[in-house]
Amino acid sequence: MDSDIVLDGKPSELFPPYNVPKAPFLSKKEDKQVSFFLLFREQCQDSPLYTQARSWSQAADRHARTYGQDQVNKRYGQTTKATVDPFTAVPTYSHRFKKIPRTLPDHASRPFAKEFFPPELHATLDGEDEGATTTNGPAAKRRRVGPKTLGLSNITSYKTAEELFLPDGATPTTGGLDDGANLGKALQLFNSVEKRNEDGDEEGFLSGEDDDDWVKGNGEDGDDGNVEEDDQYEDESGDDYNAEAYFDGNQDDEDYDEGGDDGGDYY
Amino acid sequence: MLVTKPVADLCALLIDELHGELPSRIFAILLTKGRSTLPQLVQYTSMTPRQLRHGLAVLQQHNLLFYHLDPGAEFAFYEANAEHAYNLSRTGKILEMIDSSFGAPAKDVMQSLLLSGQTRISDLVAAYQEKIGHANKAGEGFGDGDDFGTETNGINGDSQPAKKTGPLVKSTAQLNSIICRLVEAELIDVVHAKTFESPQDVLKTVEKEVMDKHFPGGVKGNKAKVDLQQRIAEGLRKVRGESKSLKRKLEQNGTAAKRRKLFAGVSMANGGHDEDLDPALDPRQVIRINYEKCLVDLRNRRLVQFASDMLGETTAYVYGVLLKLLTKDVPRCRDDAAMDVAADDDGDTEKGPGFVTTDQILDNLKTSVDLSLGIGKAERRQISSTAAEKIEPYPIKKKALIEQAEVDGEASADEEEDEDESSDESEYDSDYKAPATNGANGANGVNGTNGAKVKFDESAAPKERRLDRPTQLRQHLLVLTESTQRFVRHCGANEWTVDFAPLMSALREVELDSVIERSCGRQGLRLVRILRAKGKLDEKALPNVALMRKPELQQKMLEMQTLGFVHVQEVPRDLKADVKKSFFLWFCDAERSLNRLLETSYTTMAHCIQVLGALRQKERDVLETTKRSDVRGREKDTMRKEYYERYSRFLECERKLFAQVMRVDDLVAVLRDF
Repeated sequence: MDSDIVLDGKPSELFPPYNVPKAPFLSKKEDKQVSFFLLFREQCQDSPLYTQARSWSQAADRHARTYGQDQVNKRYGQTTKATVDPFTAVPTYSHRFKKIPRTLPDHASRPFAKEFFPPELHATLDGEDEGATTTNGPAAKRRRVGPKTLGLSNITSYKTAEELFLPDGATPTTGGLDDGANLGKALQLFNSVEKRNEDGDEEGFLSGEDDDDWVKGNGEDGDDGNVEEDDQYEDESGDDYNAEAYFDGNQDDEDYDEGGDDGGDYY
Repeated sequence: MLVTKPVADLCALLIDELHGELPSRIFAILLTKGRSTLPQLVQYTSMTPRQLRHGLAVLQQHNLLFYHLDPGAEFAFYEANAEHAYNLSRTGKILEMIDSSFGAPAKDVMQSLLLSGQTRISDLVAAYQEKIGHANKAGEGFGDGDDFGTETNGINGDSQPAKKTGPLVKSTAQLNSIICRLVEAELIDVVHAKTFESPQDVLKTVEKEVMDKHFPGGVKGNKAKVDLQQRIAEGLRKVRGESKSLKRKLEQNGTAAKRRKLFAGVSMANGGHDEDLDPALDPRQVIRINYEKCLVDLRNRRLVQFASDMLGETTAYVYGVLLKLLTKDVPRCRDDAAMDVAADDDGDTEKGPGFVTTDQILDNLKTSVDLSLGIGKAERRQISSTAAEKIEPYPIKKKALIEQAEVDGEASADEEEDEDESSDESEYDSDYKAPATNGANGANGVNGTNGAKVKFDESAAPKERRLDRPTQLRQHLLVLTESTQRFVRHCGANEWTVDFAPLMSALREVELDSVIERSCGRQGLRLVRILRAKGKLDEKALPNVALMRKPELQQKMLEMQTLGFVHVQEVPRDLKADVKKSFFLWFCDAERSLNRLLETSYTTMAHCIQVLGALRQKERDVLETTKRSDVRGREKDTMRKEYYERYSRFLECERKLFAQVMRVDDLVAVLRDF
């Protein structure tokens, strides 16, 4: 097209210098917006309607191209019992602290305005949609004894990077809160334990679960995960080694107002 | 609503982020396949019906679906509500907006509402009662110190929720009053039977009703057709109005007007003083967030920022007050074509934003704001007061030209370009403004000053120019009126209004220009402006016009063509269409560039979230640790130093990525929604 274009025969540089554009720092307002969003996300992920489980395979092939819906669907449902890592799946004590990912949202725990749902979903909203396999049917039924309440999340802060960088106590937000929060946790735990003891039997334990659940929102650290665990441990309550009872019993005769500062003993 | 693939990807990713994988998968399928029933979804997704029912229930609860159930049919049709899904990315902004204009407790309520989706008022009240009760019990346990802490927090409406141990909302009465206020501001609306019908379904039902009722014999003739259109629009408006029933009820109650007077204009702290005045809300009502109105408020904020960039902070503040008053009754940013065609005879509540008088603005200004700032001084004889005070009762028909938009700081830097600019301006704008005022001091001056030098020096004439407050306010409003962007229209004596459509298109051009400048440099922007001024230009003529060397120019133009800012048209000289003999015409199509930009923005946002996913995958061992219930909240103490550093690095990246998403969303909002 143009006569004075001179072709340059040299091979091009493998990694030519590239001026990476850098985003400007966050303004105060943006910072607030991001914090609010992250907090909202954190609360969302803490709500009973959130499903933590990710079923797509974590392997490298997820970046492969897919052609058609079938192949897309095949990506999912890859993490099953058959695909657990044998090296980490052996039960250890610290597994107790792990949240068990929910595979289905927990609708039974909260109220809905059912008139705005199509009728085919109503059973699901009641938590009666157990599908073909009703293994824990009676237990699930009993769980819905108490009145349903909408839970408000108790997560009030999502840690920002700055907060994490600063040593504890340097920021007023973390420093002031630490004792209070731990105390609060301890107290809540204490209350729930008391309730369980009052009710005594399994039945009470189950109905107390509703109170203990996220639904009423007293456990910052994912009590819903623990609830699932409780379900499992429930069966073994007659065993010699009942860690739960051991710990709960331990807490009963503690004095929280004094010992609550470190907060580490209660778990 | 049909969406492109980038939007569909983005929506699915957002839902995955906030609500989990199951709903996200279903939503993606609904977007790709369109309306589907449950059995169809089973086929598409190869999931079990039970999984699907659970996922659909979650989506429905969070207002992300439309559904339609034919009477007698077994299965409902589901449809994805892509708009609401996209709006999830704006959650942070909406919450921040509510936090700053209604106070922290209102933000807390809104957050709970967003979190739980559509909610019955009684459920919300019960939940808050629970929380308040818990806090009180905890407060008793802790002793006086904490009690005191919570109380003071409540009174001041302190906006640092991290600090407090008690709840932000103190009592159900306060909750009630907060909901009332949000309902009055239309930020919350009522869910009714037709809310979850998709717009097309609503249209169809209304059409059918109208046909059955008024035109049983079919529509004949032009007059009947117009009548039909009007009746349909009326029916649609009626359906739409249903969601405002709660607001109407509150207004009938009479306290609304009074309270509005108290609240308007000022950011109020807590609303604790008139809780008793609020009527108890019907506990059976189901409420949800009204994104449309949220967008109107976000648009106001964006415009204030725009004005502050262009004219100055004090003027922008005045503008903010004006916009707030003006848009109180504006329910949405863009009128719906189907509903608002025949709205002309409906009075100005539905049509147009109405107007605001100077006195109203004055009443709502904070007294602490010094209005004398940000106005230039000029001799009286240098101001043509007839031109400045000209009243324009009707919106200007002329389309907003591209040249009216001007990038800040662009003009004054380059002499040559400056001339170019102002001559361009004068071609189009001479009908209302003298040339030469614009280029140099367009950013800050009072434009009605006929080329006089504008003095900003406060001390030069301290006494004679001491104006009283209303006059100063008027000056600000006149500055806004005369700006090239036409922020305000002087529609009657002391009455002001805003023509949003041309103003927003001016803002869009500014955004486009800044993107061009960022990606192709000032040279590129200059070329684009030349093309806009000249229309289509032959490739051979362009170097002469642009005063650039040919190879450089060609390289720049190609670069811009690949980015979609300029386009080329090939016009053959004869039938043979010989390439060597053809004309190549360069031109700019702003509409096309904006659409391209929009699509790129969606992709960018989706990419940010995907990068976050990859980061999570990379750091998954660390993140798994932090999710453990004994570690969470005490990461610093329990984690090893190396792990902890990785974790904090990850958090920083996460913040940056979401900030990027929000910034790009700013652009999307301007281009698409405002």
